[in-house]
Amino acid sequence: MSSLVEISCVVNGTPTRLAVPPETSALTLLREHIGLTGTKYGCGEGECGACTILVDGISVNSCLMFAVDFDGRTITTIEGLAVDRASDPLRKAFVDKGGVQCGFCTPGMVVQSRHVLDKHPHAGPDEVKRGLEGNLCRCTGYKKIVEAVVTAAAQPAAE
Amino acid sequence: MTAIERYLAPAGLDDALAALAGGNATVLAGGTDLMPQINAGKVAFRPILLNIRRIPELRAVEVSNGRITIGALVTINELKDNPLIAKAVPLLAEAADHFASDQVRNMGTIGGNVANASPAGDTLVPLLTLDAEVELASGAGRRNVPMAEFFTGPGRTVRRPDELITGLSIPLPRLRTVSRFVKFGTRPALDISAVSIGFAATLESGRLSDVRVAFGAVGPTPIRGRATEAVLEGAALDPERIAKAAATARDEVKPIDDLRASAWYRRELVHNLLGKVLSDVVSR
Amino acid sequence: MNAPQHASLIGQRIPKMDAPEKAAGKTRYIQDLNLPGQLYGLILRTDRVHARIVSIDTSAAKALPGVRAVLTAADVPIHPIGVNKDNPPLKSDKVRCERDEVAAVAADSIEIAQAALKLIKVEYEDLPPIFDPRDSIKDGAPVIHAAKPDNIAMAFDYAHGDVEQGEAESDVVVEDEFTLHRVTHCCMGVSGVIADFEPVSGNLTLYSNTQVPFLHKREFAEVLGMDPSRIRIIQPPIGGGFGSKLDIYPFEPIAVYLAKATRRPVKLIFSREEEFIASPTRQPAIIRLRSGAKRDGTLTFRTVDVLLDNGGYTSWGATIPFVMMQTFSSLYRVPHCRYHTKAVYTNNPFAGSFRGYGNLQATFAIEQQMDKLADALGIDAYEFRLKNAQEAGEITGQGMHFKTCGFHDCLKIAAERSGFAAKRKAMGAAKGLSGVRKGVGMASMLHVGGGAKIYPSDGCGTILKLDDFGHVTIMTGASEIGQGSETVLAQLVCEELGVPMSAVTVVNNDTDITPWDVGVHASRTTFIAGNSAIGAARKAKDKILAAASTVSNMKAEELDLKGGNIVRASDGEKVMPLAKMLRQLHFSDKAELVMTTNYYEPPSVHQDKGFKGDVSAAYAWATQVVEVEVDTDTGIVRLLKVWAAHDVGRVLNEMGLEGQIEGGIIMGQGYALCEDMPVVKGHLVNPAFRDYKLITAPEIPEMDISFIETMDGEGPQGAKGVGEAPSICMAAAVANAIENATGVRITSLPFTPERVYSALKGKLQ
Repeated sequence: MSSLVEISCVVNGTPTRLAVPPETSALTLLREHIGLTGTKYGCGEGECGACTILVDGISVNSCLMFAVDFDGRTITTIEGLAVDRASDPLRKAFVDKGGVQCGFCTPGMVVQSRHVLDKHPHAGPDEVKRGLEGNLCRCTGYKKIVEAVVTAAAQPAAE
Repeated sequence: MTAIERYLAPAGLDDALAALAGGNATVLAGGTDLMPQINAGKVAFRPILLNIRRIPELRAVEVSNGRITIGALVTINELKDNPLIAKAVPLLAEAADHFASDQVRNMGTIGGNVANASPAGDTLVPLLTLDAEVELASGAGRRNVPMAEFFTGPGRTVRRPDELITGLSIPLPRLRTVSRFVKFGTRPALDISAVSIGFAATLESGRLSDVRVAFGAVGPTPIRGRATEAVLEGAALDPERIAKAAATARDEVKPIDDLRASAWYRRELVHNLLGKVLSDVVSR
Repeated sequence: MNAPQHASLIGQRIPKMDAPEKAAGKTRYIQDLNLPGQLYGLILRTDRVHARIVSIDTSAAKALPGVRAVLTAADVPIHPIGVNKDNPPLKSDKVRCERDEVAAVAADSIEIAQAALKLIKVEYEDLPPIFDPRDSIKDGAPVIHAAKPDNIAMAFDYAHGDVEQGEAESDVVVEDEFTLHRVTHCCMGVSGVIADFEPVSGNLTLYSNTQVPFLHKREFAEVLGMDPSRIRIIQPPIGGGFGSKLDIYPFEPIAVYLAKATRRPVKLIFSREEEFIASPTRQPAIIRLRSGAKRDGTLTFRTVDVLLDNGGYTSWGATIPFVMMQTFSSLYRVPHCRYHTKAVYTNNPFAGSFRGYGNLQATFAIEQQMDKLADALGIDAYEFRLKNAQEAGEITGQGMHFKTCGFHDCLKIAAERSGFAAKRKAMGAAKGLSGVRKGVGMASMLHVGGGAKIYPSDGCGTILKLDDFGHVTIMTGASEIGQGSETVLAQLVCEELGVPMSAVTVVNNDTDITPWDVGVHASRTTFIAGNSAIGAARKAKDKILAAASTVSNMKAEELDLKGGNIVRASDGEKVMPLAKMLRQLHFSDKAELVMTTNYYEPPSVHQDKGFKGDVSAAYAWATQVVEVEVDTDTGIVRLLKVWAAHDVGRVLNEMGLEGQIEGGIIMGQGYALCEDMPVVKGHLVNPAFRDYKLITAPEIPEMDISFIETMDGEGPQGAKGVGEAPSICMAAAVANAIENATGVRITSLPFTPERVYSALKGKLQ
């Protein structure tokens, strides 16, 4: 086995030091080593978006990222967004607009939607659809997810 | 199992080149191609995993001497969103919009896309169309290779194992340049390309000159359509000329049958889509 | 909500109860669960498609540090599973498809398990394979299962009326062969199981995503030779079901064998690639349909011959004829019908059950011929359908009694809202093979909406309790698979007991706690579990009001429950808080808790040997009209808009219902346009999302959804089941729309750009 690499990063606001095998994916690090299971394994090849996280505020597929690349960076997962008041309107919109059925794609959808709204605070349906094109859902048909994000976009920012 | 003996994440280009010098390093940039290929067993780790993401000079975008230089680490989304690039080479920004998904565009790099050398690579067709040059660096020095000479086969290039792609250098399009990029698909993005076409030319007094046409996913590498260009060079775009160009394009591409499309269909798409592109150029 | 204080919950837009937790990423699915001391299980699948197993050498794998068990068929009792009991979880003599499980490993980590798999050496002797089901029934075909030397896994024959007479009466007859392809569920959560076997007690706890926990329990007892009382099934929240988890598949008993061998919990989770290869698909079908009509526009007969590729082993795919029969015999009024199906073994991957369960395939055939017949007769396509659509009170040739029937309204509303007739005419007049052409297409569907009595019981049990504070716990046998059953059950109970949704907990995931339910399938859960829960709630209400009458000087019939209170029924005047009554009952001399039970068996019947009988307590219809744009230069078909009219009995949770319909429409869109599983020489060529294309957000059409409320007499608050309905007629409608746009009728799926382009050029094979 390869020797471990020391990295230090901030995960959901908590400074974290870890020793990781270099071949490990960021997704495996989060789920198996740190125990943050909110980020999901959907395909392992960057096609479904279930593993979406924010790295320095930008959304990425954690299944494609090497864990060692977390070094020196700020990571936000769905668990981090869940306690961040600024994201409450977004998550509430997912609930109120029926954007959740089985819920497996939901963490990835919420994180990616967060990023879409950060880039386009007043996103309309077409922008949201393009922004979510890398997030697959098999239950909802996407319509209510898009409505949820557009609703959150139309709201004034939470305090 | 995994052969990684050392992991390096240098902050300077010279350190990276030194690590590459032994020819036994796997380069990690965005990882969007490397991770799936490792998982599928198509690629094996070499003893050194070399993360080049922390080398600032590889991110630079510069315009000088009539050329724009785009650092290898510029991400696909940055190609889309960087106003300098969007203004100087809109064809590249357009192609970036059809690339994978937002998450992959945030990580994938133009250098990685070029190094991966897929016959269907989304940035490769516009780069070919724009007469880009690949800038390579190694411990032994630097060299530039024109895109049209860079690819030798599917996934294969003239890059030596001790070389790193540092950037893409593109001549700024002249005045009265028209350019188009079309990628066939049912979705705006997230579609492994079945066929893509890039077109650029100077259009003056109704005649085309300096015509460049490139095709993706219809051969072992992305290619320039030289015969098609010859038909269009110096010509006016009347319906007969367009039909002849489309027919020439259909005949000069060399697609194969694969799970994504048959060779026959790819030829039909090249014919039909090029016809549409050229008709669109006329109508504007 | 700005509803008045005692507004009914029925018809409201109620957010899903588990949505907040899911949106916070807190929900722990099977993949997220870990038991202390657990090992990781992996399965070695064969690389052959038809071969005798000569030898399996596991010695190197066993010797790898960190490997705790390596099992082959020789190590476990042979108990084949599946509908025909032809599928041993670990294969001993032969492999019959690329899915076949040859060995299994349990190790300290996934990486060690993966390395161990690579060290297992298997020697095979290849046997001649069969890939085309038509070859399976030729003379001299290789025998795939010795028990079925003719390779016929199952066969079905059904008839009502006399099709010869029907033919004789017809003024037009059409005949086509329709080819329906393989697609798969693509649940976002991959399959997985955790088996926890406690050796001293002999108790087995299975963390399973099964949709049929009680049937599963019985099956496991059989397979493992265990006392069923020792088996407990716990269902973690599921990342999608759609029918994929209705059968017992080899990976689950394998996990149990590994747990028994190692005496440690074993967690076995599929990779996505494995999910594509090893999870059952929708049943592909070749349907030869001949149907006729009279000049006056009435249908006369349908003769159907279906060939099903049963793959290497038999799962629920072979039983889709039960549902297909219902559609062929009873979708529209058909006086004469004859139906024959063979499900034959091949060396391809086998199919299971998938939302719609054969109805998509049958409807694709029928509704294309409805257009053809109408056009041949010169009758408007909508009028032709309306003329043959049943109405309430009719009993079909197969014995299905349509007590309530929204068929006419579905047709009318979908036609009106879409402007179907005028559009079809105009676009048809403009149809062509050049440029971009538009077209509209219509299709309807019939499906069970009140369960399906295929097991000895189609029932569901509920246990209800109220605590001292008026909090209600519903223990139901019905599983929640993301479709919102939990929320609907709570809604129905709250409506009876007059308590808010926040006062309810639903327990539905532990076979040690919840009463029996046959399972989540046949769109039955709202109907049957709903009626079961309502019955239990009414018993509780009776008990409460009886107690209230003794302390309030009013008769029980004069009282009601509303807004958390016992109230006077006539004017809503508050009598006392519900919680106070409950405490009085508890702490008084009576010392009673309010706990009730109810088992609801729907008033449907089992089919007789001729497959006739009123198999469901209610039936549901839908009509969908789609508008498409066909780019003849590329073959790309864009779905612009879908108008869907669904007979739902009654709208319970309006938002949940919309969500089901929207999701089903998009699933139907994928089935029609882009999902496909090419299997070449027995191997799936695209086991990844990169090349198995699901619909993505930018591709969805505009959707206009109408609900028709027929107020079913048996349904809970009048509701019918709709879980499968929205997917069923999409492909048929799209086929009809493509014909309207281009004049080309395509009788095979999917309508990918290359296939459509080839069809337009007359080159489609």
